[in-house]
Amino acid sequence: MEAENQILTTQQSLDIITKMIRQAHGNVKKNSVYLILWGLVVALANLGMFVLMWMEYPMPYLVWLITVPAWILSIYISYRHGKNAVARSHFDRINAILWYSYGVIIFTIIVFGYKINFQLNPIILLVSAIPAFVSGTIIKFRPLAIGGILLWIFGILCFLVGGPWQYLIGAVAVTSGHLVPGLMLRNNPDR
Amino acid sequence: MMFKELDPLLHSQLRLAVMSLLIGLESAEFVFIKEKTNSTAGNLSVQLDKLSEAGYLAIDKSFKGKKPVTTCRITKKGVKAFEDYVTALKQYINK
Repeated sequence: MEAENQILTTQQSLDIITKMIRQAHGNVKKNSVYLILWGLVVALANLGMFVLMWMEYPMPYLVWLITVPAWILSIYISYRHGKNAVARSHFDRINAILWYSYGVIIFTIIVFGYKINFQLNPIILLVSAIPAFVSGTIIKFRPLAIGGILLWIFGILCFLVGGPWQYLIGAVAVTSGHLVPGLMLRNNPDR
Repeated sequence: MMFKELDPLLHSQLRLAVMSLLIGLESAEFVFIKEKTNSTAGNLSVQLDKLSEAGYLAIDKSFKGKKPVTTCRITKKGVKAFEDYVTALKQYINK
């Protein structure tokens, strides 16, 4: 783009505008790492909980400690992304606010879990449906939006079934709602 | 079709590209704009100064560690100018 004094035609102007607006869409693929990480960790924790409950292990909830390194890793990845970012889109900001708010809500639910006898899975799945659906809709990535709908459906199922089955449903829910869309986003050549 | 009545500051290949890029972003660093517009550092620097002098862009110079970083973002005046440019362009197309 060196010919500064060249007079543009309507077509050339339009071409520049559309090409550049497309360039500004940014790289949403980088967000897939969080979906994959958390999809995997939470699915494994749910499966672990399910198995340990069947084995009548006295403290099955200890399996959730695997989320602690996931938090640390997420904070580190987020720091690296922020440090290396050379452009920040409006979507980046909305998406960050959406997922940070989600993190705060999940943290609050877990902290006060004892108030509702730790019947957390249905509530966590229903709350998880919101950022997945909204994020998927904004970036027009259907697998993630569908993932959000699936999280909502599995959340309802969790209310209907009791005991250890909730955790099996939870594992299926985060696999279909976060892990699979995350992997699809990462491997999508158009993103 | 040739134009004469469009905002001359925007009716230029690189400046229009910069504004079209920044309209969809909160902010962008110089290196990002340079890469996306496929321009040279010297030319881009001159055009950014022109847009900044017109009040279309806000340019912030800071440091990332020890590395100097130039960050650009479009201003309200810049958004208005870009919208007016697109509106004028539409009129020409619909003629």
